[in-house]
Amino acid sequence: MSDEAISEAPAPQRLLNIGMLLAQFGLVIIILAFWVFFASQASGFLSPFNLFNIGRALAIDIIIGFAQMVVLATGGMNLAVGAIGVCAVMTAGYLMQTVGLPVWLAVVGALALGAALGWLNGFAIVRTGVNAFIITLASANLFSGGMLILTKAVPLNRLPPAVSAFGRMKIGFVSPLLIVALSLGVLLFVLFRYTTLGRQILAAGANARAAAMSGVPVGRIIVIAHTLSGLLAAIAGVLLVSRLGAAMPSVGGNDWLLPSFLGPVIGGTLLSGGFVSVVGSALGALLVTTIRSGLLVLQIGSFWLDFFLGVILLFAVLVDRYRSVYAERIKMVRR
Amino acid sequence: MARRAHRNGLSAMRLTIDKVSKAFPGVRALDEVSLALAPGEIHAVMGENGAGKSTLIKIITGIYRPDAGHVLIDGKDAIFNSPRDAIAAGIAAVHQERNLIPRFTVGENILLEALPTQNGLVDYARVNREARRHLDLLDRSIDTKAEVRTLSVAQMQIVEVAKALSLEAKCLLLDEPTASITEHETAALFDLIGKLRADGVAIVFVSHKLEEVFAIADRVTVLRDGKVAVANEPMSNMSRGRLVSLMIGREEREAQLGRRTVDQSNVVLETRGLATSFGHRGVDLALHRGEILGLYGLVGAGRSELARALVGGGTITGGEVFVRGKPTRIRDMHEALARYRIGFISEDRKQEGLILMHSIRENVAITIWRRLAGPLGLLGARKEARAIQPYVQRLDVRTPSLDQTVGNLSGGNQQKVSVAKWLAANVEILIIDEPTVGIDIKTKAYLHELIGEIAAGGVSVLLISSEMPEIITVADRILVMHDFRLVGEVANDRRYDPMSKAIMGFIHAVEETPDAAE
Amino acid sequence: MRMLRRLVMVEWSGLAAAIVLGGIILSWVAPNFLTEFNLYVMLRSFCVSLLVGFAQMVTLGVGQLNLSVGALGGLVAICFGGMMEVLGVPLPVAVVAAVVLGAAGGLVNGLLTVRTGINGFIITLATASAFTGINFGITRSIPFYKMPPVLVAFGEQHLSAFPYLLIAPLIVAALLGLFFARTVPGRHLLAVGGNPNAADLSGISRNRAVVVAHALSGTLAGIAAILAVAQLGSAQPTIGADWLLLSFAAPIIGGAALTGGYISVLGTMFAVVLIALIENGMVLAKVDPYWVQFLLGALILAAVWLNRWRAVRTGTD
Repeated sequence: MSDEAISEAPAPQRLLNIGMLLAQFGLVIIILAFWVFFASQASGFLSPFNLFNIGRALAIDIIIGFAQMVVLATGGMNLAVGAIGVCAVMTAGYLMQTVGLPVWLAVVGALALGAALGWLNGFAIVRTGVNAFIITLASANLFSGGMLILTKAVPLNRLPPAVSAFGRMKIGFVSPLLIVALSLGVLLFVLFRYTTLGRQILAAGANARAAAMSGVPVGRIIVIAHTLSGLLAAIAGVLLVSRLGAAMPSVGGNDWLLPSFLGPVIGGTLLSGGFVSVVGSALGALLVTTIRSGLLVLQIGSFWLDFFLGVILLFAVLVDRYRSVYAERIKMVRR
Repeated sequence: MARRAHRNGLSAMRLTIDKVSKAFPGVRALDEVSLALAPGEIHAVMGENGAGKSTLIKIITGIYRPDAGHVLIDGKDAIFNSPRDAIAAGIAAVHQERNLIPRFTVGENILLEALPTQNGLVDYARVNREARRHLDLLDRSIDTKAEVRTLSVAQMQIVEVAKALSLEAKCLLLDEPTASITEHETAALFDLIGKLRADGVAIVFVSHKLEEVFAIADRVTVLRDGKVAVANEPMSNMSRGRLVSLMIGREEREAQLGRRTVDQSNVVLETRGLATSFGHRGVDLALHRGEILGLYGLVGAGRSELARALVGGGTITGGEVFVRGKPTRIRDMHEALARYRIGFISEDRKQEGLILMHSIRENVAITIWRRLAGPLGLLGARKEARAIQPYVQRLDVRTPSLDQTVGNLSGGNQQKVSVAKWLAANVEILIIDEPTVGIDIKTKAYLHELIGEIAAGGVSVLLISSEMPEIITVADRILVMHDFRLVGEVANDRRYDPMSKAIMGFIHAVEETPDAAE
Repeated sequence: MRMLRRLVMVEWSGLAAAIVLGGIILSWVAPNFLTEFNLYVMLRSFCVSLLVGFAQMVTLGVGQLNLSVGALGGLVAICFGGMMEVLGVPLPVAVVAAVVLGAAGGLVNGLLTVRTGINGFIITLATASAFTGINFGITRSIPFYKMPPVLVAFGEQHLSAFPYLLIAPLIVAALLGLFFARTVPGRHLLAVGGNPNAADLSGISRNRAVVVAHALSGTLAGIAAILAVAQLGSAQPTIGADWLLLSFAAPIIGGAALTGGYISVLGTMFAVVLIALIENGMVLAKVDPYWVQFLLGALILAAVWLNRWRAVRTGTD
């Protein structure tokens, strides 16, 4: 019997955990390395002004990544993250400027819309049984097209001054936007680690059939995940409005597609579902923002940025793949 | 039966399996299995579920590589790195699962390995002609131009056989080829096999159906728990009884469940005249509180499908289901568990019973998360662990930590985990589908005793199994299912031979009656 | 009624009907729809779109996704233009080089997918970013304007409503149709997409099919890029920026199975016609151009829903 073999179990299991930690740790090292490099090359990199800007951009990137992450957890994907974001942007602007609602109410309205659009996605996916890729590809165009039709692509830039004031606020060199992002991170961490819903989402993503056979209401879970994703995308949109001081229909959309995947995937969230890393997603977003900011400060020009991002993504995924293949091999050897 | 003269030397043997072994995490699927076929010999390979037959076939056809031992073709060592190599060496197979391209035509599927071309383009006239030629030997009614996805299961199986035939192989392997086809098609198939034998093709025939084996096989090899029980035995030396006992073994199983009295008045689950989209008709069964009701049948009899239909995994087209006396239509397992306290241990533990990439803790607690969670749905890992620890211990899952990834456990321990989660769920009715397939003997006995204990504690169990000893050991009462209908019932007096005879009798009575609906 | 039902079952019948209906409506609503000039404009936009649709169609056939269609197209476009303007490479050589570059890009995608075992979605997401980066790194957003007159003329000239540009996509369509319907490699590709396990058991190499599909996809993207440059008269770095949605919309509306194993050249063509019709109609009717995006999304959903409805009806679900 393999009883003796099992007592050796700690080794590969711990190795996997160490691997996980190393990955996060490795990511931190890489980020630090970049910071050191950029700081040495350009004195302005570590200036409070630059740090403040990085913080603001980072905040939005982190939340965009979270919006994708919660859907990746279910084993699907949400290509409408950008579309929902821009819908939220314009809705917030419209409610504030045209309808004249108080800011907080407009924000609530925009968030509600985002959640509703996310809900629509989830509902369509579960009801029709069609792949999330197609549904969200279609809905992304439905949403952004619809939004453009309604707003006629006219930017709204006479918003209440409180909005951009919030975006410009400084606590030391930290922006409140970043605080919002980090708070969301904490909430999501608690969700996935310490709540029933989080566990159910991960179970549904890891093996939907097994989860369903174990009594998990998989359909409902997927709808909830997509609704949450829409909500997060809307939050990112609202923060963007505050940062820009205006509601512009040209933001979001396809711009958000790559970043929404980059952060989570670099940070270790599995594309196939069942495992997320909230910390990793935040770190991944930090890496991307760091590189973007660094290239800007060095005046290398953002032209080569996309190239680097693509290569980094490939590299990160390769490393992750190597880690899981290595773990598999350990499993086999043991037998 | 024609006798084949024994010839000297391995080269006389078309296919030789020499001490082949293959292990998977936790299970020795094959343990030094040896057998040999001469050209023009029909060799049956028999054994229960999990005996190793499919693994053997997969090794011969190049899907797996053996851990030890050799496969020899015409006396020469054959190393297959992929199915392509096996095909090139002259081996064709019809596997148990369907392997057809749904959107391609019948003709194209049949000739897929070698599509005929003319001037670089696929010659569809020839495709249809040649496919027609192979297909006509079995079933003239299937259109070679029809898309495979529009065919019935039986028709697809025929197409698979035709496909194997088109390879004009030296060695043909058939894994349960008659599982879903009609009597008429079976007769045509056997005719064909006879012709192939005359042509010198060596044929490996895997089947559960004793009549078929006795009808056409020259020799038989019986596998049990991955080992050879008897090899290369001429059918003339074989009797039905001897074959069955070799397959199921007469070892004393360690589980000894005493006779129990069941309260006949308390019916927890009942069906009346149940009909399903799978093909069940007129199924009447009643499960009493604390009873272990066995549902026995061969592969393809429709038992698992019935169980699934009960918990929402299939459409009920007629009849009624009663849970604790109330008529119900359960939509899915979520409802089954939450509302009716019904649990389901799936026979496919890797795909349906467990989430391999998650830990033991997450797998066992999945059924009780909602119960454990505090107000905001908050649930800490420690609380989870404390809640499931007793069940993990009761099932004697050998693991240093609850955070161990389930995928890393042995098959036996994995099965224990999949059972533990239903114990934790505190269900009242538990449906268990093939609980010990591919599990080592010790764990088997342990699980059998456990089932007895659970039932003694008041849980009602519907036990589905195709292993005779298992069901006779564990069940209080045994229903026999064949071809999606209940064909008999046997009370359990723990007398093995009369019971197994009675059970098989029910099945054969139906088989031997000419099929009226054709 | 039965005849109608049978007709609906034919894969592209819905499309054909929509096209005819759309055409009728447009010619009624907009008087200059049926003019030679307008048809010419429509057919011209059809050229590049068709190739873009084909580029994704071939990867869908094998069960893969190619998110780098647009990015690779853009890269090939500027290399094509840059070769001629900066390096003085003669047109025919540049055309060949551009096609080879497209094939090479696709090959990179395919090899990475197969060698690393990583999902093609992520691989092509990454390479898309890389290709775009190289594109803008080289051009710094500045197009190459000095294209050979022969090329520009080819992109503009026409025989009544029929643009010369259309010749290329039609030839490609015929070749692709032949490839997938009548050649062994093409059938193997669809077999792998339809049931990878069954294909493997029949001795078909899954890896090879994936690499071939990606290489083919890249080649088609490259050809699309060349035509785009001819059509615009200059090599713009923004070529391909809006190809992604179109590349999926066309084959899917044309009836391709997202999981692989079934594609329709004819269906994709009809889909592109329909899309071009819609775009043209928007312009003529002076409707908000944003309706195009909205309608495309709706069309995709409708097509997918229709496919599923059909599958359930024929019991093939």
